[in-house]
Amino acid sequence: MAPAFGASSRKFNQLLESVVRIDVREVAFEAGARRYSASIGSGVILSEDGIVLTNAHVVSPRAVEVNVTLASLERVGARLIGWDHWTDLAVLRIDLDEVRRRGLKFEHAAFGDSNKLYPGQEVFAVGTPHGLTRTVTRGIISNNNRYFEDSRAVNGYETGAFNTWLQTDAAINPGNSGGPLVTGDGKVIGISSRGYLGANNLGFAIPAATARRVLEQLVSGGRIVRSYIGIVPGPLQDLENFYSLALNTGLLINSVDPGSPALKAGLRGGDIVLTIDGVKVDGRFPEQLPPIQNLIASKPVGLKVTLQIKRGAETRDYTMVTEKLESRVGEEWALEKWGVSVRKVSRAYARENQLDDETGVVVIGVQPGFPADVAGLSRSDIITKINQQPVTNLEVLKDAQAAYLAVPAPILLEAQRNRRVSLYILKP
Amino acid sequence: MIDLILPFRLWGASRRFYFAGFGLLVSALALAAPLARAATLPELWLERQKSVVAVEYVTETEADRRPTVTMGTVIDSIGTIILPSNAIDPRAATWQLKDFKVYAPGDVNGTPADYLGQDAYTGWHFVRVNESLRARLVPVTAFAPAGSGKAPALADFVWGIGLRTKDEDFAPYIMQSHLALIQSLPQRTGISQQEVAAPGLPVFDRDGAFVGLAASSFGQSYLQFAPGNRGAPVLLINVEESSAFILADEVLPYLQRIPKQVSGRPLAWLGAYGLEPMDRDVAKFLKLSSQSGAVVSEVLEGSPAEVAGLKARDIILAIDGKPLPQLKPDRVVVTYIEREVDRRAPGDSLTVSVLRGSERLELNVKLGDEPKLMREADRKYFDRIGFTAREFVYGDAVERRVKAGAQPGVIVHFVKASSPIAIAGLRQEDWIREIDGVEVHTFTEASAKLAEIERDEARAEVVLLVSRGGDTAVLRVKLK
Repeated sequence: MAPAFGASSRKFNQLLESVVRIDVREVAFEAGARRYSASIGSGVILSEDGIVLTNAHVVSPRAVEVNVTLASLERVGARLIGWDHWTDLAVLRIDLDEVRRRGLKFEHAAFGDSNKLYPGQEVFAVGTPHGLTRTVTRGIISNNNRYFEDSRAVNGYETGAFNTWLQTDAAINPGNSGGPLVTGDGKVIGISSRGYLGANNLGFAIPAATARRVLEQLVSGGRIVRSYIGIVPGPLQDLENFYSLALNTGLLINSVDPGSPALKAGLRGGDIVLTIDGVKVDGRFPEQLPPIQNLIASKPVGLKVTLQIKRGAETRDYTMVTEKLESRVGEEWALEKWGVSVRKVSRAYARENQLDDETGVVVIGVQPGFPADVAGLSRSDIITKINQQPVTNLEVLKDAQAAYLAVPAPILLEAQRNRRVSLYILKP
Repeated sequence: MIDLILPFRLWGASRRFYFAGFGLLVSALALAAPLARAATLPELWLERQKSVVAVEYVTETEADRRPTVTMGTVIDSIGTIILPSNAIDPRAATWQLKDFKVYAPGDVNGTPADYLGQDAYTGWHFVRVNESLRARLVPVTAFAPAGSGKAPALADFVWGIGLRTKDEDFAPYIMQSHLALIQSLPQRTGISQQEVAAPGLPVFDRDGAFVGLAASSFGQSYLQFAPGNRGAPVLLINVEESSAFILADEVLPYLQRIPKQVSGRPLAWLGAYGLEPMDRDVAKFLKLSSQSGAVVSEVLEGSPAEVAGLKARDIILAIDGKPLPQLKPDRVVVTYIEREVDRRAPGDSLTVSVLRGSERLELNVKLGDEPKLMREADRKYFDRIGFTAREFVYGDAVERRVKAGAQPGVIVHFVKASSPIAIAGLRQEDWIREIDGVEVHTFTEASAKLAEIERDEARAEVVLLVSRGGDTAVLRVKLK
């Protein structure tokens, strides 16, 4: 008998019955207009009451319609409960009224312990690659502690700073996203997330240990709040001697974000963090960074955190107040009459781009021939003022467009390109 | 479509940009050689080619010696030659420019020459050739009999000279065309139907009178057809021949601006950063009927503009009471302002009228001395570590949005390929803040420290704190 006997076990069959295909219609504010697109992903039902776990890059707040295809091939509606791009996870709830009304049935799966996985262990990926519903592929755990961080991998959002990933050679193709990675007994030990394009079977999944925690928080609160102090760590690897550190001690700060709590507290690049609120840290290797980042992120927002810092021969404590972690990607909208789509400048974006403050919106697209295009605006310009009024939020622009629709009159925009300020006129 | 390609485009980011132009020296010589009879074009050409030369020089860098050939026009009897502003890379330090040689058309061997520097206002570089060649040269002023420019009329016949390559001994050849258009860019510039002269060389009329100096060429749109590519638009720029020339009147009065120092100093400084033009719609909206304006993006720290009270987002409307003209393309107004500053000297005053919100203000600015430029910054090459350290100057602070003065560190000016520092990931324009965990405050301090590291054969590594685009990182450079 092949060692893949698990795939025919009763529990494995139950797992198969809990895997769903997810059809999403989502809106994008591209090129100055509202555009809708459809995509397919996978998910796994994890409770009797129809909680589905999938990827954040499958279902995000941009989704306007979500449908779930059950193992019975019946399709039901679902809605987004919450998402977390940092771990690339999203939680849906199946429309239970519809399920009851139509007398549908589904199974649900259970988590396994991803901390006990070992390289070489057999695993299966289940999902909807390229729309092929409930495809099972087989492989092994190639690495159980893979680090990668990406600042725009989840539809332009940051990901990977707070968790490591499972790597598998089970074939993961587009459409597998959000489907479970399971052991032979049908236990969910990961959520398939991504693969290297053009490589042979280098697939990655979010470990169940992370997924379980994120799921709980999203179900109870609809979102995950993390703390931020503004340090960018780097692996200490080979630098222990230079910093006169005992082996396996300390976290290197590569960079401190402008305007961040850490900067205000006096931290700077090249500092070594020895403890965080008394807890010793060891950031020698890249794989060790996410747990330390998570330690900071798990602190309550607005509370003091104390870092013991070694700088040269001196060691002392620095205390700072945590801020709420924000994405670089702000809220988006399309001012369709003017043919311009915009994204609010977030605090993180402003810091990254050395802007004076968070005033303004970034142009993410213009429609050829529309007033914004005619005026000369282009992608990545930052609109800071409209008719002399600072653009502090999207409402300012929406109101201005409403006024323009009522009484069309030329509109004066102030926008910044790189650091250059120009004026533009939107003509009726 | 015709796009105007200004010289700064060819060189990438340059602090200033000029529309290349040349001129004639008003001198006694100008009265020579009145044209007694109507000479034939070949006769005129034979005589006038004595006023053009090819100039070759070498830019010496850490890694190589790069020769450049450019064209110049002779402006006086003591061998002074002007070259277009883009003839020399603005990033090169003057001490890197070596071995200037001048070739008269047809010369096999060059005659040594000295580089005299660049004039900020005209943008011209000045070179003076050794005496041995001077007798064979005729200043172009000899062909401007009245000592002033003769403006050609639309559709007039115009002609000029081009020079072939060094391999062909810079053989001269003739180009001819007709004047198609005159534009203010902001200098009055003639545009002919076809290429009329090599950039930097004079243009003449039918009688052989000097009418202008060829500037950088225009880009022209073509469609490129290829298998699998049906008619993609491409912009072609002829860098050897130009159809644009700055009219003689915009050239003649400025020929005496020969730099007193090779650095081109003194340089007037305003300190209004990122001047942005406005289009006519914006001008109309702001009720500026027949004039233009320029938005000041930032006011530089400690600059004369700041002292005078100029603020970011002020709109400059007039200089010394003279409203900014509406020029086309719109961005020419920025050149107009820059030239207004550049033609003045440090210590000169000018009144800048600005619009701030709805308020109109008159600001009196006393121009300052341009802070040390990047090309003037100290540099030192460290071969073992594999890079050139450059002094952190004012412009570096502006680029990085940090406070000028009291900034520690040095800038990476050059990285040697496959050197220890290249392997560690350092790149050009990175800013080294700390060496071995210690802040380096001045260039002298940094280079002394780096020299000591370089000498120490036993040393296995050096650790740098490096800043790039607002982020910092600790880099370990393995020396063995």
